[in-house]
Amino acid sequence: MSYKERKIGDTLLKVEDISLSFGGVKALSHVSFDIKEHEIRAIIGPNGAGKSSMLNVINGFYHPQEGLITYKGQVRRQMRPHQAAKQGIARTFQNIALFKGMSTLDNIMTGRLLRMRRNVFWQALYFGPAVKEELEHREAVEKIIDFLEIQAIRKTPVGRLPYGLQKRVELGRALAMEPELLLLDEPMAGMNVEEKEDMCRFILDLNDEFGTTIALIEHDMGVVMDLSDRVVVLDYGQLLADGTADEVRNNQDVIDAYLGVSHGDDESLEGAA
Amino acid sequence: MEMLFFLETVISGLLTGVMYSLVAIGFVLIFKASGVFNFAQGVLALFAGLTLVGLMETFGLPPWLAIIATIGVMIALAWLIELLILRHLVNQEQIILFMATLGLAYILEGFGDIIWGSDVKVLDIGLPQGASDFLLDGYGLYVERLEVVAAVIATALVIVLAIFFQKTRIGRALRAVADDHQAALSIGISLRTIWITVWSVAGIVALVAGVMWGSKSGIQFSLSLIALKALPVLILGGFTSIPGAIVGGLIIGVGEKVAEVYLGPFVGGAIENWFAYMLALVFLMFRPQGLFGEKIIERV
Repeated sequence: MSYKERKIGDTLLKVEDISLSFGGVKALSHVSFDIKEHEIRAIIGPNGAGKSSMLNVINGFYHPQEGLITYKGQVRRQMRPHQAAKQGIARTFQNIALFKGMSTLDNIMTGRLLRMRRNVFWQALYFGPAVKEELEHREAVEKIIDFLEIQAIRKTPVGRLPYGLQKRVELGRALAMEPELLLLDEPMAGMNVEEKEDMCRFILDLNDEFGTTIALIEHDMGVVMDLSDRVVVLDYGQLLADGTADEVRNNQDVIDAYLGVSHGDDESLEGAA
Repeated sequence: MEMLFFLETVISGLLTGVMYSLVAIGFVLIFKASGVFNFAQGVLALFAGLTLVGLMETFGLPPWLAIIATIGVMIALAWLIELLILRHLVNQEQIILFMATLGLAYILEGFGDIIWGSDVKVLDIGLPQGASDFLLDGYGLYVERLEVVAAVIATALVIVLAIFFQKTRIGRALRAVADDHQAALSIGISLRTIWITVWSVAGIVALVAGVMWGSKSGIQFSLSLIALKALPVLILGGFTSIPGAIVGGLIIGVGEKVAEVYLGPFVGGAIENWFAYMLALVFLMFRPQGLFGEKIIERV
């Protein structure tokens, strides 16, 4: 993994002292960590630890009551989701959020919407520069389709696809945005071993080839240990540990809190590594 | 002679159908962008008509200026609807949004009443009235001029809308928003912009519908009830299709006229009142997504 050490750059995103509550329920309290350029950052923790809330804070679905977010050197308190998207943050969802009535191709094309800059009236006339633009975007989308190996389902309405493929299309739509920061919320949940391996390969490849920075939530410890450069551990909305996969794995707090003190779990952790 | 009469019936049906289509298109727009049946669409037409007449009568504006001002009012209204209602209902169940439009319908109706009064108003923006001489003299065919004008305007409107929504990125964004709010936000679509755009366009379509119906039979409360006639049109054409709304409107327009004239005598008349709904019921049984609607796919 040494080649990765070279690639990792400056801090891309930093969250400081983030607190978020819904009514009386504290989802996150005083969480701080950072994500560096080109790295794969995992966020782990038991159910209800606040992992998805954290992603939702980063891309603007939730607005934290306290804390600061610094993205690309700009400090912000909160942001609307579509603004986050404009600034290069793309994401996938835990419960797939695709446009079910549209085909795979159209779904991925929607990821290009922000990049279509031609005047609406040129587009309406489908004339001159607008035609060229549409073709360019189509080309970019075809590349993504090739990359994710989903050529066969190009025209299929995504509502008809099996779960694993839907996850892949959702990743494709996020990639179409050519994001700088990609947030993946349990990209491998509900997949079989083969599908998981494919997904891992895609994540590593796109990090390698395009240098995309990735923050992902995942429950499969084997996957987390294989993929990530650094790991954040959350528990009950608080930061429990932050470090490389090895550091986190050997952290006694993490072993106790995240895996429970049962020794059975402990073994599975070793096995996964 | 018999043939000529049939032709007159069909043409008159077609032209009524154009009116239905106009109202139905307003529904389709909002349904496409928010997956919601906008109960207030009929009232929007009433409100637009009332505002137009009010501006002309109260301030003595010439028709063209009043129309531009009314368009401004409809856009402001769209902005207000987003600000006060839609914004707070993001990610809610569709039934909740539907109930909100129901509330909106009554608020608008009352609001229009308070400002412009509740009596029937005559709308005259100088559209031609009476029989079309050319057809009457040349072919002995009686066709209302106003209805011909309505058909021409509706056709132009439909062409502009179709181009706007099918060929531009707004069209794709619209479908995205209709499908999944959260996902649409995550790819950078501003719900606000889309909703204001769509409600503005729906408001302008309502204005056109209001002007056409109003020129024919005056601006009155019953205008808001044409919403109910649009429902079977939508079931026929499919809730998501603008061409569907047009074809559906025409079929129902012609169908009810022809049925009234040729079947009416045998069943005691008044077929016009229920024919559309019966046709819709038949369609619901055999083709629930309508003629042009998207197939409903649900994975279990």
